[in-house]
Amino acid sequence: MATVTALDDRVLEGLAEIVGHQYVLTSKTARINRARVPSMFAVHRWEEHVPQVVVLPASAHEVSEIVKLANRERIPVVPRAGGTGLVDGAVPLNRGILVDIKRMDHVGEVDLAERAITVGPGVNMFKLNEMLRPYGVMYPDNPASYTCALVGGRIGTNGWSLLGARFGHVRNLVISFEIVLPTGEIIRVGEGGGIKTRSSSSGYRLKELFMGTQGTLGIVTEATLELVKRPEAEFSAFWLQRSYDTAWKTGGELMRSGYATIAGVMLFDERKVDFVRRDDEAYVPQPDWCEAVCAFALYGNRAEVRPAAKEMMRIAKASGGEYVGDEIAQLDWSARHDRYATPLHGRTPNGQVAPMSWHCEDAGIPYPKVPEIRKRWHAIVDDLVARHPIFDDWGMFSYTNGPYKPWGDMLCEIDVGIWEEHLDDETWGAWVDCKREIARASIEVGGTISAAHGSSRAGEVDLVPLELGGAYDVMKTIKRALDPNNIMNPGKYGLDSAYEDG
Amino acid sequence: MTADDKPADPSVGRVLDDWRNAAYNCFSSGHKFCREVCPVLQVTHDETHSPTAFHANLVAMDKGLLTIEDVAADYVNCTQCGACELRCPNTIFAGDFYRFRTRTVDLVKAMRALAVENDIHQPEWQRWNLQTDELKAEPVLEGVSQERVADWAAELGLPIGGETILFCDCEAAFYRTSQPKAVAKLLLAAGVEFGLMREQWCCGGPAAEMGYVDQARRFAEHNIADWRAVGAKRILVLDPHDYITFTEDYPKYFGDDYDFEIVLVIELIAELIRDGRLTLTVPVERRATYHDPCRLNKRKGIHREPREIMRAIPGLTFEDVDHVTQWGYCSGAGAGLGIEKPELTAAISARRVEQAATLDIDLLVSACVWSERPLSEQAAPHAIEVCDLMELVAHAAGLQPLAGLNVAAAGD
Repeated sequence: MATVTALDDRVLEGLAEIVGHQYVLTSKTARINRARVPSMFAVHRWEEHVPQVVVLPASAHEVSEIVKLANRERIPVVPRAGGTGLVDGAVPLNRGILVDIKRMDHVGEVDLAERAITVGPGVNMFKLNEMLRPYGVMYPDNPASYTCALVGGRIGTNGWSLLGARFGHVRNLVISFEIVLPTGEIIRVGEGGGIKTRSSSSGYRLKELFMGTQGTLGIVTEATLELVKRPEAEFSAFWLQRSYDTAWKTGGELMRSGYATIAGVMLFDERKVDFVRRDDEAYVPQPDWCEAVCAFALYGNRAEVRPAAKEMMRIAKASGGEYVGDEIAQLDWSARHDRYATPLHGRTPNGQVAPMSWHCEDAGIPYPKVPEIRKRWHAIVDDLVARHPIFDDWGMFSYTNGPYKPWGDMLCEIDVGIWEEHLDDETWGAWVDCKREIARASIEVGGTISAAHGSSRAGEVDLVPLELGGAYDVMKTIKRALDPNNIMNPGKYGLDSAYEDG
Repeated sequence: MTADDKPADPSVGRVLDDWRNAAYNCFSSGHKFCREVCPVLQVTHDETHSPTAFHANLVAMDKGLLTIEDVAADYVNCTQCGACELRCPNTIFAGDFYRFRTRTVDLVKAMRALAVENDIHQPEWQRWNLQTDELKAEPVLEGVSQERVADWAAELGLPIGGETILFCDCEAAFYRTSQPKAVAKLLLAAGVEFGLMREQWCCGGPAAEMGYVDQARRFAEHNIADWRAVGAKRILVLDPHDYITFTEDYPKYFGDDYDFEIVLVIELIAELIRDGRLTLTVPVERRATYHDPCRLNKRKGIHREPREIMRAIPGLTFEDVDHVTQWGYCSGAGAGLGIEKPELTAAISARRVEQAATLDIDLLVSACVWSERPLSEQAAPHAIEVCDLMELVAHAAGLQPLAGLNVAAAGD
């Protein structure tokens, strides 16, 4: 494993020769402010995650030279894009050189013939779509962090999109990309050798291999993205339900309905309804009998969306639920991005308002097991809250998970508020244990630890070998082969173990 | 890495007490919706200067990881435009519920003031404020002096004093003198009675923005004493920065004793045009867009009246960019950034002009004299001219031809 030692002037000078002195940042604030992401963060252990130096490269060549230097000197390298991830991919676990790619924000030609655009990893989707609007196309990667996440980080986490059922997720939307390997080589991975080719049978599927690595296999330096026609029509509908069971059954019928314009089907459980009633400014008041919500959204051409909406509404109505009209649909569906950051506050069990961070434990759960996981997760979090009042259960959402295939399994997330200001070793340990139990339950019902964010955080990461079985051993073999000195984001995904038996 | 062992100045504890809750609120969100609208970050791409970092620094100070010495220089990198506050989900989605609002601009001002209080100075700001203190006006160019503060009005025969006073910003009074002249001519043409101060000092706003709060307060006290001495009740303001100072800083200084009506000239002119007291007849055959000054659009929510005026100008083809999109736009001139880091102001202005250039326009109209110098400097390569909205109106009203602009002169 790469060792952590003080960076001497020779290394700093080497970095400055590569990127220029002004882009080598050594100040305390530059480093301290790149130690965390919105993922759960042990504030009382902040110092442990402060990188030794920050560099802001401007090109793939500069990134490559930085990585080569780090590889020669055995210094950890941690890539950072938007720093908005909900796992700790961009958090340095072993200090080292933090490579912040935000300067790499070039935007290439809008290719309307091949429906593609090539951009730097520092480009944000919201800004990109602002630019694309006059062309009648968009890049439909739409996470909750739409206004702040960057393309490079989306590839590094194999991100999930709220509109994925209709347009696909990052793995479907990034046609090809360029990545600097841990030894400094610059390669392009996609469908065969084509930059804008959508499908190929040539060679291994390396594009997928280099996605979702949480920075453990390289640094993305450019990506060619899918451009889709801007939808002529959007339709979203919220149906109130008297029980979670009804909401779940209705959601299942909608998911299996076969309409290609489905962008997502979403369920709120009663704890989520309680939370938004209690603490959500944007919430639209609902009748007391409402215990759950089933919502759906359709995107596409008018000729497709209108008839599909009619049929979907018929299915939802047959469930006995109540349609709540345009007001909540517009407010809540459009506010999905902002829900990402809504919880400014949570409450302690005695009702005291407290500034809490939002932590979203997500998993991919087989549809038939969603009611069971809901009960198991709440029991796990209830136990935590009972022991430590700095935590708060904010309920569960579920979404259609598969790209283009909104059936079979759901992305489920239980949202937990944490009053981070009061974290200490004991409460941090209790939280890590809780996360591990949440992940264990997900595996036990036949699901995956994470459908959207990644599974490299403390607690859950312990169970990745259990989830992946022999495939995890292959991950370790690949890691050691591509990163012989373990310089690329060391410590993540338990991959240090790849170097222990060699 | 821990902060030096020496005990922090009591002023640090006071600021932490004031801002701890807000800092943790931002820290606990941590989502950085602000980043993509921040004009400074759009050109530096350096997260060290993000509104998120500006808040997180206080958490780190509270935890003993950072000191005011460590963080002071970072707070230079802000134009106090307020875009981050508008985009902040803590304000938008939970603010009313909890009676909370993210106030990054006030935080930046507080941290700059804390730095000055601890004798940590940015060299150019220190020089600027020393000179301002000496000259009683900002040193916007060579030759600024108290004796010349009303030279711009020399030919207009304006009275001193009266119930209504026109306050003229330093940049307007000494550098862009055509702007206050245009304003005065418009007001006179519409029959608005007004006078000038006996002795106008800088409003003090820039000093407050850069952390020199005692000086800002002294200047404010002088100015309202002057207003009172001439019986002023109503102050006409032709610059957005002064408007912020008079509507936000002065009320904080003087509380209930501060009983002046502050009128933004742009709003008044829009009203005068609407009411037919100003008639615009000279066509301006140009393709123009409007630059929303940060302090009007983002800080005060004033964006309708300038557009109303733009649309009232005959001959003008107005390529509008909506005011929400313009949350991310800025000239980079605000809050002393151009004094301490002119290269950043130039880069931010260049970006703004490039955004205008995509509209295929030849005239960029602003309503803030502070934006017009940096924007003009960047506009030349694009064959775009920059002008002030009030000067454009004065031209269209046949009162004052636009100097240097390739438009038909009044009366032609």
